[in-house]
Amino acid sequence: MNGVCIVVAPPLIGMRLAFVLAEDRLGHYAEFRDFFVRTFELDRVGLAQPGYLRAPSGTVYALIFIGRSGEVFPSGVEIHAIVPALEPLDEAQTDRDLWAILHWMIAGIGGTWTIEALQATGRLFRIPAVADQP
Amino acid sequence: MHYVDEGTGDPVVLLHGNPTWGFLYRDFVAPLTEAGYRVIIPDMIGFGLSEKPTREHAHSLDGHIANLTALLRGLDLQRVTLVCHDWGGPTGLGFAFSNSFRVRALVLMSTWGWPLPPAEFHTRIFPWRTMHAPLLGPYLLGRHNALAGRGIYLSVVDRQRFASRAMAAYEVVLPAPASRMLTWVWPRWIPLDDTARALQRFVWLEQELRACKLPALLVWGREDDVFDPAIFAARFKQLLPQAEGPHLVTGRHFLQEDSGPEIAARIIDFLRRLE
Repeated sequence: MNGVCIVVAPPLIGMRLAFVLAEDRLGHYAEFRDFFVRTFELDRVGLAQPGYLRAPSGTVYALIFIGRSGEVFPSGVEIHAIVPALEPLDEAQTDRDLWAILHWMIAGIGGTWTIEALQATGRLFRIPAVADQP
Repeated sequence: MHYVDEGTGDPVVLLHGNPTWGFLYRDFVAPLTEAGYRVIIPDMIGFGLSEKPTREHAHSLDGHIANLTALLRGLDLQRVTLVCHDWGGPTGLGFAFSNSFRVRALVLMSTWGWPLPPAEFHTRIFPWRTMHAPLLGPYLLGRHNALAGRGIYLSVVDRQRFASRAMAAYEVVLPAPASRMLTWVWPRWIPLDDTARALQRFVWLEQELRACKLPALLVWGREDDVFDPAIFAARFKQLLPQAEGPHLVTGRHFLQEDSGPEIAARIIDFLRRLE
């Protein structure tokens, strides 16, 4: 839909996980946590493996879900880019990929959460990835 | 916790909110100290030059009230005038109502102290809830520091002056995404429904406001479109009928940026009449 798709676990030999974004409170709005539970079958998979997404650049991102005692799982998530082990991260490309992943997330959550509101918020705050879009 | 401590006399404690720091009150220090007051300006933990925890669970409204209490008790301040803006309101009022023997007067600006919801603005998907939603908050306000730069810029009247003289000072103290955590965590503490974490604390604040007999001054930005003076200053006036004002000055939410010297003069005039 916007170039983001779920993929199987990629080979990690010669690669590293580069941390790019974290969320400590995924259930702040419950529909966000529900979306990830539904999308990655987390009720079945639990902490066994990350979820993987391929972004428009072709880079695969690992979504590592976090459990916290006393809270509904997952309580949080970290997003890591899977990149060649010894190469620096392309920050501008990563930022565009993250924006695409956030679009994918909002489209999947739906309801009152709209792409239009996300785009408008990105424009309001002059997020570079919004300006880069065709 | 970093704080400014200048002058001698009865203390005036100036409390900032999200995403600012003591710099917000730079135009207040000289007039207040020259008028014979001791000025204390804390940087809330998570902002300014204070420590910035990098985990969301390090922050809570009660925790921030306790941080302020630790500082003001440590300084053993008496006859305190609390000047409260934004989250400095719930935080400062929380201190005032649990340490009432230390507090002499309240000055309230563009803030609130009751549950559900603070403003219609805070219920909107665009831009407020989108701005701090899961993953969107860490991206927009973390990676891009959207609130400390552009966010304040949009909430002042003289944007050109703010951009040239002040904006960098707000951005520079939040240099890395993790250091900006409180900018998206504070919005999540604003009660939007009866399941909100801080709901009972805000219920208590409202009860205490109704019972409060402290002298109070209300100063509001005429152009404030987040905490509309017609709604918020009026509500404080209802809860604190003894309050002076509201005195309207040029300003949006960050009214200190547009009218700092005028507000400082208002506070001095108010305090002198309490002598």
